[in-house]
Amino acid sequence: MHDLFTEVWESVRRNKLRTCLTGFAVAWGIFMIIVLLGAGNGLMGAFNQGGDSFASNTMMMGGGMTTKPYKGLKEGRRVRLSMSDMDLLEKEPFKQYVDQVTTNYSQGGYTLTYGKLYLNNVSLNGTFPGYADMNRIVMLAGRFVNEKDIQEKRKVIVLSHLTAKNFLKGSTDYARLLGEKVKVGSFVFKVVGIRQGEENRDDRDLYVPYSTIKTIYGLDNHIDEMTFTFHGLNTEEANEAFEKELKAAVNTAHDAAPDDASATWVWNRFTQNLQMEKGSKILHTALWIIGLFTLLGGIVGVSNIMLITVKERTHEFGIRKAIGAKPWSIMKLIVAESVTITAFFGYIGMVLGMLTCTIMDKTLGQSSTEVFGQSVRLLVNPTVGLDVALEATLVLIIAGTIAGMAPARKAAKIRPIEALRAE
Amino acid sequence: MQIELNNVHKTYEGAQPLHVLKGVNLSIEKGEFVSIMGASGSGKSTLLNILGILDNYDEGEYYVDGHLIKNLSERAAARYRNKTIGFVFQSFNLISFKTAVENVELPLFYQGVGRKRRHEMAMEYLDRLGLKDWAGHYPNEMSGGQKQRVAIARALITHPQIILADEPTGALDSKTSVEVMDLLGQLNREEKVTIIVVTHESGVANCTNRIIHIKDGIIGEIEENREHKASVFGTETIMK
Repeated sequence: MHDLFTEVWESVRRNKLRTCLTGFAVAWGIFMIIVLLGAGNGLMGAFNQGGDSFASNTMMMGGGMTTKPYKGLKEGRRVRLSMSDMDLLEKEPFKQYVDQVTTNYSQGGYTLTYGKLYLNNVSLNGTFPGYADMNRIVMLAGRFVNEKDIQEKRKVIVLSHLTAKNFLKGSTDYARLLGEKVKVGSFVFKVVGIRQGEENRDDRDLYVPYSTIKTIYGLDNHIDEMTFTFHGLNTEEANEAFEKELKAAVNTAHDAAPDDASATWVWNRFTQNLQMEKGSKILHTALWIIGLFTLLGGIVGVSNIMLITVKERTHEFGIRKAIGAKPWSIMKLIVAESVTITAFFGYIGMVLGMLTCTIMDKTLGQSSTEVFGQSVRLLVNPTVGLDVALEATLVLIIAGTIAGMAPARKAAKIRPIEALRAE
Repeated sequence: MQIELNNVHKTYEGAQPLHVLKGVNLSIEKGEFVSIMGASGSGKSTLLNILGILDNYDEGEYYVDGHLIKNLSERAAARYRNKTIGFVFQSFNLISFKTAVENVELPLFYQGVGRKRRHEMAMEYLDRLGLKDWAGHYPNEMSGGQKQRVAIARALITHPQIILADEPTGALDSKTSVEVMDLLGQLNREEKVTIIVVTHESGVANCTNRIIHIKDGIIGEIEENREHKASVFGTETIMK
């Protein structure tokens, strides 16, 4: 190995300028691959923004409008889900897949009062314990609504930390608020938890048990939607089958045709993720292909320069063969030189590419645009991981070998007698 | 019989095919010091290339130590060139970007000898040829005679049974030529190496013990030259 690299170094040293010029093309190719992939990752990160605030195996179901007459009822009838539909999920055949079922009642325009402090126009959410997991609610103090709250219709409330900060006059000792009484409209609730609110939308939503809100405000059995987590549905097909079956069951319960696609709707976070992943993979592949084609230019350059090297060194290879070099030893020299040039300059390109990605992260990645009142970042973490660096290394070694192969074969085929004549 | 050629033919293909060797029959014993003499175009270099397995032949047989050398694979040919045969060329054929000692080491490198061991051996051979102080010099820093001695060291380092020298004095002045021929003669006597010298200079041929004349691709007269009196000009020195 040492001898091989000494030889390679000697050869490269003799042709510094031309090696550097050729190497530049390779460095450029790898640079493009890294920067493209980094930007692609950033773009996908931006698409997925906020996506991680939901559990991925969640489905949401709501009512729609019938489009088919059924059981003597005309089409165009509105379907509203009810509490009994939630029970449906806890029976066969859905029971084996469904984990937690929740619904949410949301109503805005309430006034929240704490002592002399008050907050206008907040939304009140009637919720279930499972909601916290599904929506990745992070508790900063106390707890979320639990099963007992639901059963006993307790008047307990969970506040956003933004609200809590107001009430504590800027302090973040949220625990101090636990057990305190607050008023929503004219009803008194006991604070049991402080959750992390979303800063970028000044999230001050209140959470109380669904059963409590139902009693207080005299809601009927209708619900807007039901959300549930599930397991054991790992493919798109399984999810589709499940959705179809569920819709049929709910439709039937509401006297709508089982195959009426519009009577109810299902939004599946899991399949959406799958599709997102598929899209992400396609983008990733496309970027790789573009990058590889850019790299191809560099590879052709290396191959070309190696051919020139072989031509220049014909006489030398003739001497080597005359004193006993096997074809393989000559091939090794050329391939090793080709791989060395490709790998060395490729690494320079890779480092520069990663540096560019980091700069991109520090500048573009931090800037955000206002879209519908929400700040959206253009690029989120536009960098590449170690896996891409390893893949790129592999690509470089393979590319270097391919680039060196044809010239190396040419060199190995040199007949000593002809090489010795060439002077 | 160390080297035996039976009816060897060689034609260079081309627009005008050139029949260079027209049935060469030749035997050379182990430990001989012979020269192959002929005018340019007589086929002597072609013959040497075939002897050195640098080139193929079309017809006939060539045996080294009883092994038929015909249509060898590149690997097998490389092995013979590495272990059995040592070459000395007219233009020295040293690798210009390697120092003298690195050039001498090279055949051992292709035998897979370790770095330290082959450096030691190369230094030993350079020392024997009086070039110890020149070990770190590049070929372009040395005189013709020095270069040829480096080349001889390179040919000797693998202990070959046969040394093939193609016009070894062709690029040297007469004084150096005598030195190189003396060196080859000494190697032949002391190491019992078979040495075959190709030359067109009668003075050079006169240094050898047997002179094989080649003319128009056929072996002509073979002179025994134990007395080294074959050449009128060769008795005292090598005429240039």
